[in-house]
Amino acid sequence: MSASLARAVNVLKEVIDAPIASYFASCVHCGLCAEACLFYTETDDPKYTPIHKLEPMRRVYAQEYTLIGRLLKWLGLSKPLTDAELAEWQPLVYDSCTLCGRCSMVCPVGNDIVYMVRKLREGMAIAGYAPAGVLAATQRTIEMGSPMGVKLPALKAQIGHIEAETGLTVPLDREGAEYMVLLSSMEIINFPEYLSAIARIMKQAGKTWTLCSSAFEATNSGIQIGVSDLARVIVARIVEGAERLKVQTVISPECGHAFTALRWEGPNLIGRPYRFKVQHILEVLDELRVQGLLKTQGFEEKRLTFHDPCQLVRRGGVIEPPRNLLRMISNNLVETTDPGKYNWCCGGGGGVSANDDAEAIRLIAFKRKKTQLDAVKPDKLVTACANCRIVLEEGLEHYQMNLPVVGLTEMIADHLASD
Amino acid sequence: MPMVEVAGKSFEVDEEGYLINLADWDEGIAAYLAKEEKVELTPNHWEVINFLREYYSEYQIAPAIRVLTKAIGKKLGPDKGSNKYLYELFPYGPAKQACKIAGLPKPTGCI
Repeated sequence: MSASLARAVNVLKEVIDAPIASYFASCVHCGLCAEACLFYTETDDPKYTPIHKLEPMRRVYAQEYTLIGRLLKWLGLSKPLTDAELAEWQPLVYDSCTLCGRCSMVCPVGNDIVYMVRKLREGMAIAGYAPAGVLAATQRTIEMGSPMGVKLPALKAQIGHIEAETGLTVPLDREGAEYMVLLSSMEIINFPEYLSAIARIMKQAGKTWTLCSSAFEATNSGIQIGVSDLARVIVARIVEGAERLKVQTVISPECGHAFTALRWEGPNLIGRPYRFKVQHILEVLDELRVQGLLKTQGFEEKRLTFHDPCQLVRRGGVIEPPRNLLRMISNNLVETTDPGKYNWCCGGGGGVSANDDAEAIRLIAFKRKKTQLDAVKPDKLVTACANCRIVLEEGLEHYQMNLPVVGLTEMIADHLASD
Repeated sequence: MPMVEVAGKSFEVDEEGYLINLADWDEGIAAYLAKEEKVELTPNHWEVINFLREYYSEYQIAPAIRVLTKAIGKKLGPDKGSNKYLYELFPYGPAKQACKIAGLPKPTGCI
């Protein structure tokens, strides 16, 4: 047994906690999770059945923690895990799982399969079976503080452009502000429209807000690759910044996994409750709407549909806010099949879009989104995750579908009442 | 890390051929890197390369393909900010090849 394999087996033994043991024990082998997975539905290949992606972990569970498994192992009837098997499973665990969580939703015995995949990734990462693209992103996060290598000068350059364009101030390190705004790398570099939208919306609402120079980015590759130490470091950076600036609420950006990391995993990672509230930007906007502080004018003429980012909607529970907001500016909102918590993933979450090995299978999986869109034929696709947006744009281009993709916060800002 | 010599000056590249030290870059090195990529440099190529040098000095990041097309579109107009135009210039991946020739690190995408 190689040293890395021994480490992987040890880590897997460690991460098999009570929930995971009970999930393996409860699995009734019904196969419903296959039908819930876009990598299965678009390929008809049973190897993409979500529970099958966990086979290396199930073997360790059976051989270490069940009587029959131990007996079979002792008799030589159940073979120990091999390096070759881990290598074979790498594309199943990383390239063809976006951690979208649809399998967890449909499991009739309530197994949180996506939680198990994340735990398996912890073992795979330690054994060296994580894809180069995801490892490199994680390395950049450790060394530079950002998976894309975005540093403060990039943010400052964008702040300069936005201040010049809007005539508004974008506050940095303003103590005691009500809101601290976080961004994803992609928003800083490719969608600065988001930050500009925030500046205009906050101005209209009369709210104080700030960016934090030591914690401006919310992306957390530790969560995706399955390295909880790293995930903790990234969350702790935000907690430190928010508590130092004494803000009331930290706003998670238009990014899916950042919300999972900060809103749901964060307090467990740092081992204590936050001294501030965490909300997704769409929750904040919906709250401002209810308070009458978000006033829009005019309606979009085009037919709109909303792509639900998995981590925000299915995993995060932010289902109605995007729809409430869209109804403020549209009379022509159409829903695809399976809207809301059962919506289908863009195919690029969970680190898949950063993983070159996954490009071909990602484009095949996109056929699910294509089928959904072909059925309702929208003129514009609205979403609230910068990564979904990039992945959707690439998929649409690949299938030669001419459909613009926009961020919801920007769209709302473009309709702000002018008084 | 491998060393490469151009016109009597030696410089370091990574395993994939990206320049390690940005300050080493000059037009001679660009010409060498372009030759390695089998790209014949025309004024249109230089326009993209110079754009990338400026972009990097402002944002300190090597842009991935969608970021590159959007940023070029903003600066040089929609005709040039298209995949088609950029793939014609850099057939093996505009972001990767152009960044390499411009002496930037390998571009990175969202995660």
